[in-house]
Amino acid sequence: MPVLAESPPMVPPRTRSLVSTSGAEQAIKAFFGGNALVALLVLALITVFLFREGFGFFGQNLNNLRLYRSAGLEYVDFIRVEAEKHSELTRALNDLRLRQFQKMQIEGVAPEQANASLATFDEFATAFSDTSEPLNGLVSDLSEQASALKEQLFAQAEAGATAGAPPVERDAALAVLRAGTQQYDQAVSGVSTGVDQLLSTAPPLPEAKLQQTFDKWKQRARDYVAQLPAAGEKLRAWSPDTPVPWYRAISAFLFGHDWITASFWQDWYGIRPLLVGSIMVSLVALFFAVPLGVASAVYVSEIASRHEKRIIKPYIEFISAIPSVVLGFFGIAVVGTAVRAISELPMFSWVSFFPISERLNVFTAGLLLALMAVPTIFTLAEDALRNVPRGFKEASYALGANRLQTIARVLVPASLSGIVSAILLGLGRVIGETMVVLLCAGNRIDIPDFTQGLGAFFQPVHTMTGIIAQEMGEVVRGSIHYRALFMVGLVLFTITLLINYFAQKLVARYRMSIG
Amino acid sequence: MTSVRPHLRRSRIIERIAFWAFRIATYIVLAFATYIFLDIGIKGARTVFTTTAPFVNTTFLFDRPQTLYVFEHEGQKMTLGDTDFRAWKETHGEPAVDPTTVAYSAGGIWPCIVGTALLVVGSMVLALFVGISSAIYLSEYSRNGRFIKLVRIAILNLAGVPSIVFGLFGFGLFVIFFGWNVSLLAGWFTLGLMILPAIITASEESLRAVPQGLREGSLALGATKWQTIRKNVLPYALPGILTSSILGIARVAGETAPIMFTAAYAMRDEMPWQVSRASDFVFQGVMALPYHIYVVSSKIPQNEYTERVQYGAAFVFLALVMLIALTSIVLREKSRSRLSW
Repeated sequence: MPVLAESPPMVPPRTRSLVSTSGAEQAIKAFFGGNALVALLVLALITVFLFREGFGFFGQNLNNLRLYRSAGLEYVDFIRVEAEKHSELTRALNDLRLRQFQKMQIEGVAPEQANASLATFDEFATAFSDTSEPLNGLVSDLSEQASALKEQLFAQAEAGATAGAPPVERDAALAVLRAGTQQYDQAVSGVSTGVDQLLSTAPPLPEAKLQQTFDKWKQRARDYVAQLPAAGEKLRAWSPDTPVPWYRAISAFLFGHDWITASFWQDWYGIRPLLVGSIMVSLVALFFAVPLGVASAVYVSEIASRHEKRIIKPYIEFISAIPSVVLGFFGIAVVGTAVRAISELPMFSWVSFFPISERLNVFTAGLLLALMAVPTIFTLAEDALRNVPRGFKEASYALGANRLQTIARVLVPASLSGIVSAILLGLGRVIGETMVVLLCAGNRIDIPDFTQGLGAFFQPVHTMTGIIAQEMGEVVRGSIHYRALFMVGLVLFTITLLINYFAQKLVARYRMSIG
Repeated sequence: MTSVRPHLRRSRIIERIAFWAFRIATYIVLAFATYIFLDIGIKGARTVFTTTAPFVNTTFLFDRPQTLYVFEHEGQKMTLGDTDFRAWKETHGEPAVDPTTVAYSAGGIWPCIVGTALLVVGSMVLALFVGISSAIYLSEYSRNGRFIKLVRIAILNLAGVPSIVFGLFGFGLFVIFFGWNVSLLAGWFTLGLMILPAIITASEESLRAVPQGLREGSLALGATKWQTIRKNVLPYALPGILTSSILGIARVAGETAPIMFTAAYAMRDEMPWQVSRASDFVFQGVMALPYHIYVVSSKIPQNEYTERVQYGAAFVFLALVMLIALTSIVLREKSRSRLSW
């Protein structure tokens, strides 16, 4: 029997060369690892730079608000608010006259005759408008003084405490300003006697319904006169030296309802009109994109024939590649005009806010954004539907349910969290989209007039993304306006991170629910 | 034969109605998109194509944007570009009435096409390099630890960051902090980083699709990890990676917001290669097609003189991006049917 020769060991002992390559291997691994770090690094850098460039805003805004008080601009604005309320009443009066006139036109009254019968009303309106003269005069006088003082104070702050700076006679200037309180009281008594007299001799309107509105207006005018002295109390209580608390800089940004820049009077950086604009546009977009996106996902995954599926799926993905700027251009060139033309059709004359005046508005932008959101929602929702285990469907059929019942009671509920996360990601895409809203939303920085109900969705707005894109190119680096834009970017960044976070949570839950 | 019971018949009718509703919803989306393609395609084709040889409007494609001069001369309406107008003035003298000028509406869009190509190539090289490297790490080296979890969360969140925020970031970091000013380099980095999450996700998917057996076989033969990746994983994953990345190219080319204040100029007379020193090449701003479309659709009015450049530019851009996207989708559909391990 031959003896088996001793076989060589199966595993060779470690040689030097293997050890040395493992050093290179380590280096290669470290290199790839470093690249993987880039994503983390970029996210961190984005956060850091948004904060770095944006956070100085609060300090600057606090100074801005302090100057607003110490130079007496706030004081003047108390009176200005009252003057503006007055002119609003005048506008309502003119609007009333216009409606009465249109009514008469419809009834077939000749324009001259209509004008003649409204002559007494016109006299009344003019007289009412004239009662605001003393208030307006006071505002414009005081505005000039306050502006001058603000400029001096600003120049002084710029120059720092250098010796050469001319001393600002702030107390004297403020004393002149505060004399306005008495003038205001006089003006108020003038306005109230004037308005009272006018109201007692107000002419009637021929149309009963408008007469009712007119009566309501009269009540508004009386209320207005009654609250005028309250502003006087505010003027007396006002002091230029009351400190502005630090949190005002933040609350004025988050809740302020004006975004006014490069103004001669006072700059305001309130994000609310932009936020409202972004939200409204997104609502319109989701209103269209959610039903369409989810319905087409259901259609493609459950109902369509194989041939249809092979065309529709790539086509919808193809839509997602349409550049947003091309969509925006299409909005300006075609959709905006079409929306306005449709609103002018006689068949829509029953809609109170039609015809619309601006072709570029929330609706136009939302419609185009819907087209951008549909592919996102479609792709993810279709994925979720397709991943529902076969057994769910088969069990449902076995129980005698038909296809619609299976879709509505089994498939959609089982993939609901997946569908909702698809909608959330669609929302994330819509709210962060820039070019379409910049081109099609109308770019008016104003909170739409919600008293018109749904008509608010046919008014132009400005959005957070739009304002950054529009104003970033023109601002001075390091200025308060520049920093305010970075703050808007930070808010936008936070919102999208939150949306993303919830979408991921839902996806995780979806994975669990289908096992 | 028993007839179908009435409640069954009713539910069948409801089913049919519901299916039609789904079908109509789907086709509304398709119709709206098709209308956009047709509108821009038909109106843009009038600018881009001509009826005589070479059938392509070479002036529009290969000329610079110029100001358009519109005026009347001896009862005829003249519409001349800047260069032609100057030549015309040489022979005819000043026109009797001051001409109306419309910016950007004459000439072509050549610098924009070149600029966009430069931006896309640079940012894609950057994004592919970093993206594929990260994906290799994530799929081949990493074990599930806290660090990897953090990286994955970062990638997911980065994908949701709005492009305008990337623009702000690029402006803050590259343009101001690094002092690169408005330049190609700043645009490359901004766009490259923006597209990074998509590239990483696509690459990782392709890498994971390579069967484990290939790696194990290679390792069993004594190859090192890197040799395995280089010889046995990457070659099989690369076609998939590139295919999905083409969609990334379409997105990079299509974005406007990130380059608005990092790389794009509204108007520049020199072409990118006309720089005094070679080192200046990456530090110059360029004109870009998407930004040009933004400028011509928002800064000049809509009328018969501007329609040419507006629709023409939109057409060329849409056609380019759609061609890229189509390539990607077709390649993917093909590879899906072919690739089965």
